[in-house]
Amino acid sequence: MKTILAVDDSGSLRQMLSFSLKAAGYGVIEAVDGQDGLDKAKQQQVDMVLTDQNMPGMDGLSLIKALRAMKNYRNVPILMLTTESGDDMKAMGRAAGANGWLVKPFDPARLTEVVKKLIG
Amino acid sequence: MAAHDMSPSERLSAQVMHLLSGVSEHGDQHLAEVERDLVQMDVLLDEAIKKLCASFMAIHHAVDRQQEALDGLRAEGRLAPGHAARFEALRGEIDRNVAAAVTGLQFQDMTSQLIGRMVQHLAGLRDVFGALDTNAPVLPESSNEALLATLSQISDRVGACCTERAGGVRSTVNQRHMNSGDIELF
Repeated sequence: MKTILAVDDSGSLRQMLSFSLKAAGYGVIEAVDGQDGLDKAKQQQVDMVLTDQNMPGMDGLSLIKALRAMKNYRNVPILMLTTESGDDMKAMGRAAGANGWLVKPFDPARLTEVVKKLIG
Repeated sequence: MAAHDMSPSERLSAQVMHLLSGVSEHGDQHLAEVERDLVQMDVLLDEAIKKLCASFMAIHHAVDRQQEALDGLRAEGRLAPGHAARFEALRGEIDRNVAAAVTGLQFQDMTSQLIGRMVQHLAGLRDVFGALDTNAPVLPESSNEALLATLSQISDRVGACCTERAGGVRSTVNQRHMNSGDIELF
């Protein structure tokens, strides 16, 4: 089973992400912010990371940069899932190493379609 | 000093200070109330969404168990073909509504971010009202020059408040479409 790390400071968002991805057959590890996400990514290799941008402490862009600096996360797909939709932020996400940008709220079918495209 | 003993210049100074002090005090009181209500609104929304999420999960599990029971009946051939088709159509309807609920339950996250931004802006406005208060009911010197100097100091303090929060809190929630957001793969 492929495992996805879902990073978001909103409990309801994590719950909905987890629900949607588990229903599609993926394992989900939840993290409450960037630092928690980084710690969990180090503890267990995951197949994909879905992260929010605006979180207390370490934000999504910093998490992506930290993950891309790790050899075992250089090629792991990372998607931003955020309320932000500005082109400048998307460009920053792309430069940091994100593979895609999803604007909240997500539709579960469209989300799992993208996830399947990236990790099968 | 009684008002009738004051020179026009002193009365003007006293009135200006009284006005600024009143605006500062009452403005701050009203903003504090708004801030308290916004924080409480955020707490209530959070609680509402937790309860809705819990109910949603419970309903979903119950529907799953019901579906398992129906699948069992169908496997045993105890469902009429017409009923089986009807249940299949209902299952599709349930899936569509579950997807809509998953999308809908995410709006609290965005609302909460907006409330947080409003609270920070209120704090900025309270700083501005605080800067209006001279803590001096009557100016030590009563000349127009002294009044102008005091007003200039107040103006500088207000300017400093604005500079401190220059740019404000960046807006991160600009959703206009109430359906799901865009997806872009790089």
